[in-house]
Amino acid sequence: MNYNLEIEKIIERIKEKNHKTILLQLADGLKPEAKNIVDTIEKETNTTVLIWFGSCFGACDTPFGLTQLGVDLTVQFGHNVFIKNPKGW
Amino acid sequence: MDNLLINAEYKEEIKLTDETLNYCKKFKTIALYSSIQFSSNLDKILSQLKEANINVITSQPERTNSQSQILGCDLSYKNLKLTQKPDAFLYIGDGIFHPRALVLSQKDEENFKEVIRFDPITNQHYILNLKDVDKILKTYKGALIKFLHSDSIGVIITLKPGQQQFNPSKQLKEKYPNKKFYFFIDNNIDFSKAEDFPFIQCWVNTACPRIGFDDAPNLPIPIINLTEALNIE
Repeated sequence: MNYNLEIEKIIERIKEKNHKTILLQLADGLKPEAKNIVDTIEKETNTTVLIWFGSCFGACDTPFGLTQLGVDLTVQFGHNVFIKNPKGW
Repeated sequence: MDNLLINAEYKEEIKLTDETLNYCKKFKTIALYSSIQFSSNLDKILSQLKEANINVITSQPERTNSQSQILGCDLSYKNLKLTQKPDAFLYIGDGIFHPRALVLSQKDEENFKEVIRFDPITNQHYILNLKDVDKILKTYKGALIKFLHSDSIGVIITLKPGQQQFNPSKQLKEKYPNKKFYFFIDNNIDFSKAEDFPFIQCWVNTACPRIGFDDAPNLPIPIINLTEALNIE
């Protein structure tokens, strides 16, 4: 894999905040990496890791309604911070 | 809820091929952009262009959080926030979605500047011009005319927090008091469902503006984006 997925950084955050339920959201080209990421995180931490099945068009495209599943950390791969203009596009 | 964004930065060194560098020498000033995977990995390319006596400019476009990064939604030239006009754009990345934004951002500019897309994975370059978006722009102009002549308008609003534009869309009623606006809500915007509402003559997309450009030519209904609907003189 030629892209830095920073899994160590994610594990560090999980341990630091004692997160238990994690959601991974991956840009399309990175979706095949989901298995490796889930396996590594679950091996290194006491967590349940979920994978977002739907779209991941950008940092503008984040899932909602996750609290009902008890998700306490979402990790989106492939996108940087998106600065929304509240006045429109 | 806690959130993390992972840029998935490309780990290998990237540099222009001799062929691409020679092509770039045609231009005195080049504006350099990339997707986030490559935007922190442009040092070698910058030094190559500098050694070739090419003036390189860049910016942090309106919705980005990083210098040289381009997003698919920064579709107007002013959103790029360039302080100097380039002779061409050079985009570093392996997809077509982002460099096409650089083409569409020039749709209202008097002098179009070509977009050189260099793919650092295949080491090939491709040239993008206005003719590559000809069908998109023709469809769009047709939809604008249809909007102006329609009385019954459907406004589609996404629930995605980053793309939700409910408040700005309310301005439509003020700007066009003689039109009737019907507001529709969904999560993923799929305009193939639009045919279920035959009383709508034209649609206004308020979600990702690329829906109004890239998707519209493949749909049997007229769609314009909120920005254009609010800015028609």
